[in-house]
Parts: sequence; C-alpha cells; structure tokens
Amino acid sequence: MGDVNVIQMPLWQLFAMVVAPFGLLAVVVTLLRRRIRRRSAEKGDPDWSVPQLEGAAGHSLIHRWDVRCKIVTIIVYSFMITAIRQMTPALVAIGLSCLVLIVARVSMTKVLMRILAIAGFITMFLLVMPFTVPLHKGDTVIVFGGLNWLQFSMRGFNLAATIAAKAVAITLLMEPLLATAPLPVTLQGLSRLGVPDMAGQMVLLSYRYINVFRHEARRMATGMQVRGFRKRTGVATVQALANFLGMLFVRSFERTERVFDAMRARGYRGLFPEQTLKRQRPADLVGAGLWLTVGVALLVFDRMIV
Amino acid sequence: MHISDGVLPISVAVGGYVAGAGLAAWSARRASNEDLPKVAVVTSAFFVASLIHVPLGPTSAHLLMPGLAGALLGPVAFLSIGLGLLLQSLLFQFGGLTALGANALMMGVPAVACGWFFQKYKGRTQLRQTIIGGLAGASGTALAAVILAILLATGGEDFFGVAKIALLAHVPVIIIEGIVSAFTIGFLARVKPSLLMHSFRRPQIPAHG
Repeated sequence: MGDVNVIQMPLWQLFAMVVAPFGLLAVVVTLLRRRIRRRSAEKGDPDWSVPQLEGAAGHSLIHRWDVRCKIVTIIVYSFMITAIRQMTPALVAIGLSCLVLIVARVSMTKVLMRILAIAGFITMFLLVMPFTVPLHKGDTVIVFGGLNWLQFSMRGFNLAATIAAKAVAITLLMEPLLATAPLPVTLQGLSRLGVPDMAGQMVLLSYRYINVFRHEARRMATGMQVRGFRKRTGVATVQALANFLGMLFVRSFERTERVFDAMRARGYRGLFPEQTLKRQRPADLVGAGLWLTVGVALLVFDRMIV
Repeated sequence: MHISDGVLPISVAVGGYVAGAGLAAWSARRASNEDLPKVAVVTSAFFVASLIHVPLGPTSAHLLMPGLAGALLGPVAFLSIGLGLLLQSLLFQFGGLTALGANALMMGVPAVACGWFFQKYKGRTQLRQTIIGGLAGASGTALAAVILAILLATGGEDFFGVAKIALLAHVPVIIIEGIVSAFTIGFLARVKPSLLMHSFRRPQIPAHG
C-alpha cells in the first residue's frame, strides 16, 4: 500500500476521535430512550409508536395533500435518496427532510423515537467501516500511536457517514408520510394505487390485534411475576420464557378462530367499509411534481460532483 | 437485526421488493382467500412474541423466530413475516421503508425453508419434535444471518467487513433462538399438538363451489 497517505497520530487521539464520540452517542441515546419511555409511561400511553388511527389532527399542507400523491411521491423520493452516493447531497437531503417536518408539524417526539430506533444499526456502520474498508490508491488513513493493524480510513468513514445521512433523511420523512392521515385512509390510498385490497385489510387487522395480544402478554407476564419469576441468564429462564411463548401462541391461535367466526357472523365478506377519498386536485399533482423534481435535481447534483 | 434505509444499493433494494412481492403472492396462494384475515391476526401474535427479550449476560436479545414461524405456519409464514415487517417499519422504523423487500427475503426465506425442514423430519415423538424444532429455530436464524451478510456484501468490497461483523453478532442469538424454539415446540407438542400440523393449508376442496 505504497500510495496511501498515512497520518500518524498519538494513541490518545484514538480516544478523542473515536471512543469518546461514540461513548457520548451511546449515553445520549440511552438517556433519551429512557426519558421518552418514562414520559410516555406517565401519560399512560406506552404506545409511542402508534400513529393515530382515528382522525389525524392538523391542517398543514401535507395533511391536506391527496393521500395517493403523498404515498407515491414520498416512496419514489425515498428511493431517489437511496441512490445518492456523495456526502453533500445526502446532507442537503437531511435539510430538505427537516423542512418537510417543519411544514408537516408532526410530533417531534415520535420523529426522535424513529431516529433512535435506527441508531444501533447505523452506529455499527460508523464504527466498523472506517477500520475494515480495503485501502485504495490515494486513500488517507490515520494510524494511532504506531498501531499498524488499526487503520482508520477516511474514505470508509465518509462512506459510513453518507449511509447514515441517507438513512436519517429517509427516516425523517416517515412521520410526515404516516402520521398526517389516519391509517385506514393511508391504506385505502395504497389500494387505489393497485396494492391488493386484502393486503391493506391484513395490515389493519394485525395492527388492531397487536395491541390486544400485547395486553394478553402483559397479563401473563404479571401472573409470572406474581408467582415469583424473575428474568436471569440461564436455562430455567429460557424454559419459562419458551412456555410463555407457547402459551401465547395457543391462546392467540384459539382467539384468532373465535375472532374470525365472530367477524363472519357479523357479515364480514372480505371488505371493510371505506371512507370516501377526497378528489384529486391539480394542486396535488403539482406538489408531487415539484417534490420529485427536487429529488431528480439532488441526484443530478450527486452525479455531477466527483 | 434489520437492514435500514440507505444501506443497500438501489438495484438490490428494488430487486428485493420484486422478489419479495412475488414470494408473498405465492405464499398467499397457499392459503385459501378466507384464511388471510386469520394470517393477519396470527401475525400480530408473532409480532408481540418478537418483542420479548431474553436476558443474555449484561444485555438482552429479542427473538426473531423465523424458524418457529415456519414450523407453525408453513408456506404462509412468508406472507406473515412480510406483513409483520411492514408493520414494524410503519410503526417502529426498525428496518426502513426502502429496505423492506430485502428484509422480507432475509427473514421469510429461512422461515419457509425451516418450516419445510420441520414438517419433513418432525416424526412422532415429543423428544424428536423438540430436537428438530430447536434445529429449525437455530438454522432459521443462522440462514437469516447469512442472507443478511450476502445482502450487505452486494454493496461491494467496502461492505465485507460490516457483513462479517453482522454475521458474528448473530452467533449468540442463534444459540438462544435454538434453545427457545426447542422448548416452545416441546411445550406445544405437549399442550396443543394440532398447532404443529401447520394450520394454514391449501384446502383440498374449494371452499364455495
């Protein structure tokens, strides 16, 4: 590797540049998670993750946008962001996503939770890639305190940071996509776009029953705790948890049968009643066109700079 | 571990969607149309089960259960897992929107393969079902880890390091998953053996004429 620029740095720089920032990141993420969990526990609604099912509050531009246009635009735009290769356009994309967040006026706590959810996976990239990327001609590597086996490649770091930026840019758009309309309306929009009706209904049904089974699981867990069960590392715990799982499956499969019988008894023929969708206005299409043009511009910008 | 947005090359992300949609359609055809709402409700049971954490030394691991889903649901498991992942990326943002197809392949293909393996070799005795169930559970997660590594490696040689680490990180999960699956299958074999016959089969006679 004769053509690699090597920068020597003392060993303590490794801590200053790598260990300290990631340690700080880990602490911040843990604290934020705990804080949000505690706050939602106080409010008595532990389901921070659940987008409002009935009636989304808000009258922003995004709320009023036609749901079909919104879905197509944001999904296509997300794929465009995935195709970005350089750092600068990825950062611009984050800026644009923040702009959308401001316009949509969605709950910032939920946005933060979504970012925290991807933090682990992205941190793995940021930590692993700089040290494992193969070295090419003209790369810059930093060697800390003469440890030659530990080479921090700037190209690898740049690559990982670009991935992280793209992931954040797309994640920021999820809340405007999902929380600006009630879930049934979003699914209806999907079915108008050609996704089979059954798919949307399955999402609705399982969405409802996740909460039902969660309650069931919580009740069973309370029962176990009352009888003196505590989680430890060991075979006994694993066996108890496995029995718990088995019981959860038995109960929920039986419940499924009952639920389905009850649905059929009430006249379910494979369709739920639909709300009427608002008619598409020309302005909706113009909005979609504008947004996608921005996406194309980003991609062109990405390919132009070297 | 789910792949997040922005990691996979665009061709792999789109290809994952196409292959995932094809397999989901195949999987849906294996159940009768009437059974699909049931699949949805069963999916939420698996979803809740996957939220349970197993303590592992200082940290904990949550279960992925592709093997168990395959053993209980058979070919419908692919549809169920795809649906579960869609919900997860809608509600929790574990695994991104653009990587959904790839994630469904990563979890669904092992599920169907292990389900087939379990049904083929489960035999009749409880002990044997327990052991085969454990093997199916462990190999389901192992296969998912391998597919994850392959998907990551499609990004080019820059991604090989990350792929290797991701593969290694799965080793403890594979072991736990195997043990939990074995005990769960053993429990079901004792308590409700009919669940292990996988409940969603293509009906022999068309339901309504």
